This record gives sequence, structure tokens and C-alpha cells, in this order.
Amino acid sequence: MSKTILRSDEFSCPSCVAKIEKALAATPGVESARVHFNTGRIEVDHDATASVEALVAAVRSAGYEARPAAF
Amino acid sequence: MLQRLMAGFMHPARRRLGLTIASGALILLAVIAGYGFGADGLWSAAMIAAAVVAGSDIAVRAVQALRLRHLSIELLVTVAALGAMVIGEYWEAAAVTFLFIFGAWLEARTMRQTRGALKALIDAAPATATVLRDGQPVEVAASAVSPGETVLVKAGQRIPVDGEVIQGAAAVSEAAITGESIPVEKIAGSAVYTGTIAENGALRIRATQVGADTTLARIVSRVEQAQEEKAPTQRLIERFAQWYTPGIMALSALTWAISGDVRLALTLLVVGCPGALVISTPVSIVAGIGRAARSGILIKGGQHLEEAGRIDAVALDKTGTLTEGRPQLVAVVPLAGHGRDTVLNRAAIAEAASDHPLGRPIIQAAEAKGAVPPADHVEEIAGMGLVADHAGQRIAAGNRRLIDRLGIPVTPEAEAALADLLSRGQTVVMVAIDGQLAGLLGLADQPRASAAPMIRRLRKAGVARIVMLTGDQPAAAAAIAAQVGIDEVHASLLPEQKLELIRKMRAEGHHVAMIGDGINDAPALAAANTAIAMGAAGSDVAIETADIALMTDDLDRIPEAVAISRATLANMRQNLVIALVTVAGLMAGVFSGDVHMAEGMLIHQLSVLIVIANGMRLLRTPAVRQPETSTRVMPAPASSRGALRPHPVR
Repeated sequence: MSKTILRSDEFSCPSCVAKIEKALAATPGVESARVHFNTGRIEVDHDATASVEALVAAVRSAGYEARPAAF
Repeated sequence: MLQRLMAGFMHPARRRLGLTIASGALILLAVIAGYGFGADGLWSAAMIAAAVVAGSDIAVRAVQALRLRHLSIELLVTVAALGAMVIGEYWEAAAVTFLFIFGAWLEARTMRQTRGALKALIDAAPATATVLRDGQPVEVAASAVSPGETVLVKAGQRIPVDGEVIQGAAAVSEAAITGESIPVEKIAGSAVYTGTIAENGALRIRATQVGADTTLARIVSRVEQAQEEKAPTQRLIERFAQWYTPGIMALSALTWAISGDVRLALTLLVVGCPGALVISTPVSIVAGIGRAARSGILIKGGQHLEEAGRIDAVALDKTGTLTEGRPQLVAVVPLAGHGRDTVLNRAAIAEAASDHPLGRPIIQAAEAKGAVPPADHVEEIAGMGLVADHAGQRIAAGNRRLIDRLGIPVTPEAEAALADLLSRGQTVVMVAIDGQLAGLLGLADQPRASAAPMIRRLRKAGVARIVMLTGDQPAAAAAIAAQVGIDEVHASLLPEQKLELIRKMRAEGHHVAMIGDGINDAPALAAANTAIAMGAAGSDVAIETADIALMTDDLDRIPEAVAISRATLANMRQNLVIALVTVAGLMAGVFSGDVHMAEGMLIHQLSVLIVIANGMRLLRTPAVRQPETSTRVMPAPASSRGALRPHPVR
């Protein structure tokens, strides 16, 4: 189990939060995901079956570009 | 080429911008064709194309959300645009979809700038570090450095880890951590932080913390937690918004059912997006907390920000907060015909053998006047002072009890001088030479240079009541209070009495901020509405317990924190008013028939942008910091329209 932090600076409306969280949760290997509108930070708890690229792709499928961050 | 186009199309933000431009161009084409050449067929075709181009992205998002069982704003807009096409209102459909994606692109852009205050902090951490492995410098990822390894930093480079200098010296700019622009001298043994810059020298550093454990990373994560913590107002709005969107859909359906007016029902859907309202509070809070973080002020969340914006009374600890926290020599009173320098010099000779805190300022002052030779023999009498033999003289330096014990007579002249020094709150060291009182030395903790201007700025910022709380004796407290401009002093207090006083002030209806060092003031800090801890960099306890943590000991940050909190609270209220007035105005306009879909979307998107732009103003709240002399010569403008003023160099 590992934790990946993604950052996006494209959120313009808090309604996207639930959408992205659901898209991430639907990705195989993802345990849980939290999206913070105010800071644009996305925290994902996942196991080895979900790669960081897969997480970025999931966020993209919800309509937003994100990139991995160290903290 | 095709690949780049595809990559651009895959990137949501770029795709949105491309679609916005394409759709805008089609609308322009339709207008030229329709009004310029009267080509109605081309007009309709171009408008439909514009609506399809812009609407496709919105519809895709609406479907994505719907698949996740989420009723989104995009769904409202899609239904409205489809409805408009069906009833033949091509212009309305094109305008609504174009304005929506153009607005969304613009809003994301502006929000990015609002969030950007922290970006500078995050970017301050270098990605790579040069470490010594097997004696060779190797470049590795900063987070891959192991604690204990030696990191090399050249002049001008950012330090990639937290650690201790083991070799070299440099002036290090710690602005990223403390907001302080003046570099700090670092030598072997000094602690250095990630993200600070070695301005002028090379350093070898033993890494202690790396990656997410560094002070910088912890500050960033605390600031982000603070920005994410919802203010009470925001929670209220989100509860409201939960019911608002479905409510608007129901209202729209009801309107259609009763009046049969499809246009009116669709217009309702368009203006029903609660955009400005739901972001009114978060925008102000993110900008306010971000602006504060840039000055080394950590405000721990929306709730604390709202509370701090209401502060009208401030209680301050004296020692270490208003004062330097170490005694200085402030008076030399020679007696019985001795010279001032002689008294000082003899006292220093005796004190030089001791490491008592009162001795240091005496020795320093004496050394400034001439050499302080070592004594032949020194005896320390605990709790009283010192007796030393030097060049045939017997010197005694200590308190009244020492003088009495040695049987040295105190003349009426000496008694008067002693009483005078004590009444001014000074600690007195009495000096005797060969059994005769030679002089008195007065020592006192001095107020910091920035204390008096800070108190003035607090009053100017609207803090009506400023109180000093101290465990020190009344005379010393009164002396400091008079020098810094505080008129209400409570001295000789125990920690729980400080707490009682804070409670009493709150009971009198004040919103109280307590400023202290976080350890012996802990109970009082906990009792205050807002607890402000100073010098928090490197002290996790202070960061964890305070509502507002100031990274440095710089007193100027206190009025700045109050000013930012007030500005943020005001900004939040302005945004709420803007949002509510817009919604009310739109509703009135829709039902009176003055506002149609295109205008409705335009006004709605404008209100969102105005709210974000208003929040961004907070990023330009001026730093409360000017050289003391310039306050009168060059009064600061009430509202600074320009960018942040640069920190003046002292």
C-alpha cells in the first residue's frame, strides 16, 4: 500500500471534487482518494496494481490534468 | 504533427482552449454571414457548429459525471443548450456553450494564480542534491539522500536537505522558510533548512531530514491543511449548494409545467449554476492563507482566519516577546569618588570568572572600555555574588545580601541611588572595593527596537485594547510598558492568573489574541480566541498548538497577520454579497423576462470571475514593514494597488 500525491491547478469549481474522487476510486488498485479543491491536491492510497500513470490518466478522464508531486 | 495535435487534444486544458477559440471563430463567422451578407442559412449552420464544438466538451463531462452518478453543472448547461437547439434558438445555444467553456478556462487560469502563493514555496525545494558517496560527488534526487550523508552546496545554490553545517561558511537567505529577506550567517554547527539559499559561500552539510520530513515540506503541508480546512461560512454554503442545484432543476421543471414556457425554463437552468456562491469563501481563504505564508505567517485554517479577523484585544507576554529576553547594562552609578570606568572594570574582573547571565553584559561593556585582566583568586557565593582578589585589591560584586554579609556600610547616598534604580525596574549589582561601596550597576531587559512601532501599528489596525501580561515584578513591567506604549500592565502573574485575565477579557466581550512563546504561556494561549506563537520555525510544538504561528521572532509580523486576517474576512463578505446579489438579480431578470440564456450565462460567468479576481486582491495585501523613520515622511497608501512592495533593506 502506498500513497501518491498528485497536484492539479485546473480546478475551477468545487463540483469537480466528487467527480474526480469517483473516477480515481473506480481505478483498479485504488483503496481511497481524497481531492482537495482549495489547494488542488489529490491524495491517493493505492497498491502496486495502480501505477502513478494510471492515476494521472484517471484524473484526465474526469477532465483535468494532474501531475505527481513529492509532497 | 498529428501526434502533437493528438497530445494537445488529450490535454484537457489545452483542448478546452482550442475548442473555445474554434467556437468563438464560428460565432464570429455566423455574425459576419448573417448581418454582413444576409446569408441566413450560413448563419444558422455556423451557430449550430459553434454550439456543437463548444458543447461537445461540456456534454462529455456531463456524461462522465452522470456515469459516476453525479448531477453536474455541465448537465444543466448541456440540457439547456440541447433545448435551445430544439426550439430553434441557435444563437442562444452557441452563446451559452461558448461562454461556459470560455469562462471555465478563464476561471481555471485565475484560480491557478490564486493558488500560486504556495507554488513558490513548493518550488523552493530543489529536485536534486549533490552528495559525497565513497568520496566522490554524486548527483541524486533530493528525496533519495539518506540522513547522515554529506551534501555539497555551492554558492548561489538552494540547500536540498535539512541538516547541520559541517564545513564552510555562508550567508544563507531563509526567505522561503521565515519570510525574512536578510541573510543569516551560517558556520560549522549551524542548522540549515531545505529551500534556503547559500548566497555567497560553499557549505558541506550533514543531512538530518530529507524529502517530506523537512521543515519546508512540513510548513507546506500545514499551510495546505489550513487552506483545506473549511471555514464555518464555507460549510454553511456547501450545505446550501447541495440543495440549490436540484432545487433549481425542480423550479425549472415546475415553471415549464405551469407556464409551458420552454425558454423560461431553460434560462432558469443556465442561471441556476451556483458558481460564484460556492467559490466565494474558498477563494478568499486560499488567497489569504497563501499571502500570509509568503511572509512566514502560518494561519492554521479558515476558522482561525475568521476568528483572527475579529480580534479587538491583544495580550502580550513581556519577556522574550516585547523584550530581547536578556539583560543589558543600562546604568552605572559611581560612588565615593570612584570613576565610572573603574567601577565597571572591577565588576567585570570579578564577573569574568562566572557564567551568571548578569555577568555577560557587564563584561561586554567593560571590554569595550579596556582590557579585563583575570583575577588572582575568585570565590563565588551562591545566590549573592562574587568576591575576587586582583592586584592587591579585594573586589566584591553582587546583591544587597552579599554587601550586608561582608559588613560593608551602605551610605544614605548609596541607599538613594539604589532605590532609584530599583524603582525603574532594574536589577542592581553592587560593587565594593576594599570594603567600601564603589558603585552600582543597573541591568534591565530592553524592549526590542520593533516593539513600540508594532504596538502603534496594532492600534492603527483597529486593536482597541493592548495588555501586557508578565510574571516579572511590577516596576520592571511598568518600565517596559512605558517604553513600548502599553498602558494596561498586569505583573507578577502566575501562568493560571494569565489564563484568568484572558478569560475575563473574553467575558467582557473582547475577541482576544494572546501572543507568547508557547511554553509557559500555554494555558493563556489556549484560553484566547486566537493563539499566536512566535519564532516557530524549527519548533513543532509551537506550530501544532498555535492558531497562528509566526516563523520568525519579527514583531512586525503580528500587525501584518491581523491586517491579513481582517482583509480576508472583509473579502469573504464582499464575495458573498457579490454572489447573492448576482443570483437575486438574475432570478428577478429571468422572471421579468429581461434576461435570456446568453445574458444569463454571461452575467453568471462574470460574477464567478469577479469573485475570483476579488479574492486575488488579497495576494497584494502590503507587507507591514517599513523603516521606522519613513512612516512619517512617506505614509503608506491605504490600499496598495501595485505589486508587493519590496522589503526595505535595513
